[in-house]
Amino acid sequence: MLLVISKRLISTLITLLGVTVVIFVILRLLPGNAIESSMGVNAGLLSHAQILQLDHYYGIGESASSQFFSWLGATLSGNLGVSLASRVSVSSLIGQAFPVTLELAIMTMILALLIGVLFGIAGALRPGKLGDAAGQGVALVGLGIPSFVIGTAVVTILSSGFGYFPSSQTWAGLFSNPWLNLQQIFFPALVLSIGIGAAIMRTTRTAVLDVSTQNFIRTARGKGLRGQAVIWRHLFLNALVPIVTMSGIQLGYLLGGTVIIEQIFVLPGLGRLLVTSITSHDYPVVQSVTLLFAVCFVILNLLTDAICALIDPRQREN
Amino acid sequence: MMSSRFAHAKSRACIVASAAAVLSVGVGVAAASAATPSAATSSQKTFVIGATSSVLKLDPDVVTNFLDFQALGVIYDTLVQYNASSQIVPDLATSWKYSDGGKAVTFVLRPNVKFDDGTTFTSANVVASIDRAQATKTDDPSASYVGSVTKVVPEGKYKVKLVLKTADNSVLDGLTSVNLAMLSTKAIKAGTVAKTPDGTGPFMYKSYTPDQSFTVTANPNYWGGTPKLSTVEFKTIPTESSIAAALTAHTVQLGLMTDPTVATHLSSAFRVDKTLDSSYRALMLNSTSGPFANEDNRLALECAISRQNVVQAALLGQGESIGPVPLGQYKSSPISAVCPTQNTAKAKQYLSAAGNASGFSFTVLVSDDIDATTSAAMTEVQNELAQVGITMTINNETTGQYVQDWLAGNFQATYAENGANPNPYTMYNRYFGTGASLVKPAGYTNPTLAGLLTTADAATTPAAETKDYAAVSTYLTKNAVWDWLFDGYQYAVMPTDVKGFVLPPDRQLYSLKSVTVG
Repeated sequence: MLLVISKRLISTLITLLGVTVVIFVILRLLPGNAIESSMGVNAGLLSHAQILQLDHYYGIGESASSQFFSWLGATLSGNLGVSLASRVSVSSLIGQAFPVTLELAIMTMILALLIGVLFGIAGALRPGKLGDAAGQGVALVGLGIPSFVIGTAVVTILSSGFGYFPSSQTWAGLFSNPWLNLQQIFFPALVLSIGIGAAIMRTTRTAVLDVSTQNFIRTARGKGLRGQAVIWRHLFLNALVPIVTMSGIQLGYLLGGTVIIEQIFVLPGLGRLLVTSITSHDYPVVQSVTLLFAVCFVILNLLTDAICALIDPRQREN
Repeated sequence: MMSSRFAHAKSRACIVASAAAVLSVGVGVAAASAATPSAATSSQKTFVIGATSSVLKLDPDVVTNFLDFQALGVIYDTLVQYNASSQIVPDLATSWKYSDGGKAVTFVLRPNVKFDDGTTFTSANVVASIDRAQATKTDDPSASYVGSVTKVVPEGKYKVKLVLKTADNSVLDGLTSVNLAMLSTKAIKAGTVAKTPDGTGPFMYKSYTPDQSFTVTANPNYWGGTPKLSTVEFKTIPTESSIAAALTAHTVQLGLMTDPTVATHLSSAFRVDKTLDSSYRALMLNSTSGPFANEDNRLALECAISRQNVVQAALLGQGESIGPVPLGQYKSSPISAVCPTQNTAKAKQYLSAAGNASGFSFTVLVSDDIDATTSAAMTEVQNELAQVGITMTINNETTGQYVQDWLAGNFQATYAENGANPNPYTMYNRYFGTGASLVKPAGYTNPTLAGLLTTADAATTPAAETKDYAAVSTYLTKNAVWDWLFDGYQYAVMPTDVKGFVLPPDRQLYSLKSVTVG
């Protein structure tokens, strides 16, 4: 067991190192430098002495390898550097944005699981009936219409119909103003959850349908077990592994996939921070945020495997 | 066959699933109706301005982002500023006078003005502020505005003289820029200018959250009287449709917009102020080599394009055709000395004169990332040029590559959005003047043009200045140095109960000090 964990950790570290190298190389391959990104064509108005001064400030004159190892060393020691655009520490920028995205991701998953699991089970128990048709409808909307279209429609309807757009107010922390915080996070989470819920619903429906034909379900019914007990104790539990796996993957993608919804709903999360930083060539922020996404993705994969092993004894044995 | 108990369980699962979905929406709608009054109440405490960009830097000397100019412009004062007619009017300088044949300008300063740190504004602050702007280590992109200033001499507590290398009227225009704001000497010495803005303007710095908001509060010691608004927040709302939604939901009281399809389609409960943008679109032509080295080819281009059609295509008609000077008292009139409106017959004549009767081909450098009007504008231009046999290929680049190629002058022609200024010398000396810093992207050098600019800048009477700048305009279009196309509008959208706000051509938000709500 210890060997398995060690192997997993080593492969995780190699993955993360690979991610850092790829991010670093891609950012340096982009045309333009931090001065031109920051000032645009106004960079042409700078005198030679001013350009030299800024080159030194942005570390433009240093070699790529020197920049990489300097950043990696600092990151490993907990120093993520300073934003080139706002001159604020990267850790404080991430510290402000990460809780927003994390909360959005968690709320989205709660709603997506509600939509996906309930509609999935309802559809599998009565294929082709009303519940199934409703579920298929949600799946069609969720998978067929991009979330930014649904998001824009929701914002427009709520603001013009109800005069309501809570996320356009200053961001309220979960603990400082929980009621406003819930309102700010609910609708973007609902919009995101439709697509993710659709994917979970399809997985749930297929898995439950698959399990429902197994002999042990017939035996359970034959023994006179109540319908609810058969559904939740036998059908659902045995169909849970693919649902957990799908949810884990979706949550991983979700962390990096909130960009457009954060823009539409004015949420100051990591996605928005990443977009702003990419456009301004703010290398320290882009590198750190992307690395954070990668770390989250790897941790979620580990957690998903662990939960699957907890649920399914066969996976523990393997 | 299923047992009836099992069938009931399935029905219950269906009901639970439907109920959960309805509940989700229900909770939201309940929150909506419950929250609306509180949103309206809070908006009365803080006046929120929604903008798609965010404040990036707090040091007024180094800002280049427009919202930075607007936000810091309500904290800092300058010696002079533009009024709604783009004329220079007093700010911290109550009057000024040129002497020594235009080689010196003396300002009389406003007394009893306090910085937010409690210190008093005097001539020492003018000296320290201009010194800081000119210092290399400050990296002030507008240092060239005061490039002609050789010395700043205090003449008593409330009088200061700027000694100039040569006669230079444009120095006054430069001094309207927030990049040359008057700073607290104490803050300069303490090195806090870039961290905690400290000015003499109507509002005081309160807080800054990068990429989210920038908040100021009313300055009770403001020399012009305390503003009515107690707190103003500049809030970053990444899309204009979201700004419109926030206005409708009353969480934003003033929306700064550029997209006419959003700004002009709000209900009658909103007032829309518009002003011509302080940047203009032009086709910059590289005359150093290629087809545009031939003046007749350039003139053919100028006559072949209908600027009105380009405005219609790019901005749905929400803009104006322009000449080299798009705004202010020296505004180009007529727009072009050669073809004020489209004239394809004349375009063909110029092509024949150039020896290209059947037309010629060129590539235009553009970037969709920088300017959303690019695709529509360039497609229209492409179609119009095709009518006279000119083939234009569009080379669309990413922002970084575009900026690099633009700065290096690495193009035959480029569609550019350049900053405009009421003073033509400030606008064009950087491109066409002697020792111009943007000579490569300008793609054109001529001592006559440089001389016209210098003469206009040294003019000693308003009449001479007007005549000299008209000559500059005429030269630029008669020689088809570039092809000036159009200027769009900037919009400020607010509920009708917001009174006193005016969006001037320089888009500064000075009028916030007079705004009242309700």
